[in-house]
Amino acid sequence: MTSLGDPVRPRHREGVRHAAAPPSGARRARVATYLTVRLTGLILAVLVLGHFALTHFITDVADADAAFIARRWGSALWLAWDGTMLTAALAHGAAGVWIAIEDYTADPVRRRRVLAVLVAGTALLLALGWITLAVAILD
Amino acid sequence: MSAIQLAFLLALTGTFAAVTWFAVVVVRGAARSDGGAHPSWALVRRLGRSPDERAELNRWAFYLHRLTGMAIFGFLCLHIVDVSAYTVSPSTYDDLHELYGTAPMRLFESSLLFAILFHTLNGLRILAVDVGDLGQVPAQRLLVGVVAVTVLAGAAGTALIMAPVLT
Repeated sequence: MTSLGDPVRPRHREGVRHAAAPPSGARRARVATYLTVRLTGLILAVLVLGHFALTHFITDVADADAAFIARRWGSALWLAWDGTMLTAALAHGAAGVWIAIEDYTADPVRRRRVLAVLVAGTALLLALGWITLAVAILD
Repeated sequence: MSAIQLAFLLALTGTFAAVTWFAVVVVRGAARSDGGAHPSWALVRRLGRSPDERAELNRWAFYLHRLTGMAIFGFLCLHIVDVSAYTVSPSTYDDLHELYGTAPMRLFESSLLFAILFHTLNGLRILAVDVGDLGQVPAQRLLVGVVAVTVLAGAAGTALIMAPVLT
């Protein structure tokens, strides 16, 4: 599962779990993270570049105002685009930051605490994003 | 400047600070795993080696991928909050959004474009390396392509983004 893009894992460097393979639960979690990052990444390659092009090249950023949003969110296609992008981007980002936290936080208590903050913050932003979209749909 | 604009700029500054701090963590981690407290000198020495010995370019790509990922995630968090101003009222959103059209923010958006391009293309490269089970030589060739497209497309995009405030 480690690829060229993945250098020495600090866990190995510090010799904490050198020889033994991780338990199957941890391995399953890592496979799930791996697939989440790759699949959402593939979706986001299209959605985010499309979103950036739309709001900076096709429309100048100064013209991407509230009226522009109102026009766009009047269409189910754009709502689906933004909803998918919101969910995929947060899942992708949180999974990526999760991996970085595991790499850089050696103390297990501190690690659990930092991961809890990550999950809570991501859930809060996901809720805020969907509330924004829901209000636009209901209006 | 309105209160909401000030709040946005403060949050953006906080995001910058967090990403800078993360960059220090990544570089210190890199110094640890690359051996020695002077990664810059080690890098200068390595640049003199033959290309075949520079397998570590993949590692530099990894660190850059991590850093751009955190920067984009930081902006994503801020962006979800700033778009939610639309829920308060469209005029609140417009007030906040005025910032996006200013020259410094356009400069920031251009650098964001570079980060997104590198992260996207390098991510697709990693996917290709994994799925195609590519070795180090093709992986490194792909990396050269990733950097080239990032620089060219980023420069073209920057020209488009900056044009309204330059002319």
